[in-house]
Amino acid sequence: MYAQFFGNYLLTRDIVTKEQLITALQKKDSQHMKLGTLAIHAGYMTANEVDRIVILQTHLDKRFGEIAIHEGYLTESQVAELLKKQKPDFLRLGQVLVEDGILDNNQLQEAIINYQSESEFDDFIYSDETREIISHLLENFFVATERPLTRYELAYFQLLFNNLVRFIGDDFTPVAPYRAKEYPTSYCVSQGVYGKFTMRIYLDMGEKTAVEFACRYAREIFPEFDEYVQAALEDFLNLHNGLFTVNLSNDYSVELQLTPPGVETPELLTFTSETYLLPIVYPFGTFHFIIEMSAEE
Amino acid sequence: MTLDNVKILIGDDSILARKQLKDVILSFGNPIFFEAANGQETVDIYKKESPDLVFIDIVMPVKDGNTAIREIISYDRDADIVIVSSIGTQSQLKMAIEAGANDFIQKPLNADQVHHIIASRFEGR
Repeated sequence: MYAQFFGNYLLTRDIVTKEQLITALQKKDSQHMKLGTLAIHAGYMTANEVDRIVILQTHLDKRFGEIAIHEGYLTESQVAELLKKQKPDFLRLGQVLVEDGILDNNQLQEAIINYQSESEFDDFIYSDETREIISHLLENFFVATERPLTRYELAYFQLLFNNLVRFIGDDFTPVAPYRAKEYPTSYCVSQGVYGKFTMRIYLDMGEKTAVEFACRYAREIFPEFDEYVQAALEDFLNLHNGLFTVNLSNDYSVELQLTPPGVETPELLTFTSETYLLPIVYPFGTFHFIIEMSAEE
Repeated sequence: MTLDNVKILIGDDSILARKQLKDVILSFGNPIFFEAANGQETVDIYKKESPDLVFIDIVMPVKDGNTAIREIISYDRDADIVIVSSIGTQSQLKMAIEAGANDFIQKPLNADQVHHIIASRFEGR
């Protein structure tokens, strides 16, 4: 599931544009992993060595692995290991960006090294995600808030990512959030959380995106933007916020209440308190969570 | 198990949530459904139709689920009410049981749980 975080890393460092990333995310699933990309990731070959083999391949009618062994860059057992190893999803994304000419192998190598050292999850990449890893990623991810997240906010976003994976799919990229004073709506629903602290969460997307979102959420086919599709957006918010209240009650003995979810009719929302926009990019479209925070009561 | 002539009332403000619950129930029987989109409607339809079983959400507009349950119970103390909600906290569960609910299903909906609730009431009918 880490492709989304690698994608976000590339975006926030201005290594790729949003359009390039969306295109690459759509292509990555059909991508056949190349031995050269895997060798760079494993640290067995440098990008320059891979590029050299690729050039040699144009003269010699041989496989990448065979030439790399002949040139002394890889051993036979390393080739066998690379072919056998699980292919991380984020690497697939990286390879598409190389093939599209957006990055070269050197830039990809650099991005992978920096990303892994900043995220420090090199050792976990093949294992199941844990709370700890996600929360660590989140701490880096929320640099935009210019303050450390409270434990409740951290718990909220951690659960949000988990629930997106669980109910919509793991092929999303969260783009770094930013502060907002206003927001022009498309189709927008919201729900309030109140108790020890209050927040209002909005979910906004265009009609076409909403149809796809609803199909994934309900695991049903909805041919058009109808009342079921509209309800799916509210249901997702309500389910996520409901599970959040359960977690906070269990983990922190904090009891929260929810207001019924509803549709936001204004074309422009304006916010007076601290509000963050969190764009989420899926292959089927982009939507926004808007989180309006208020101080603890 | 036959659910013919069994009356089931579903009170949930989400048309999608009502449909999903109906679809699950329809996979093991064919009862008579009544639907309500808020707490007040749930109370009104209960009084009119006297259903055998009520599924009700907690967070609803106009009148919340717990208030609706109390009103239904004060009208019919034998009413059989099951909460279906995403807020499955201990305190919510306590409030719902105090209000008079018999069971609590945590969303997302689990077909086995719904089946258990239906079968425990109507199997052998």
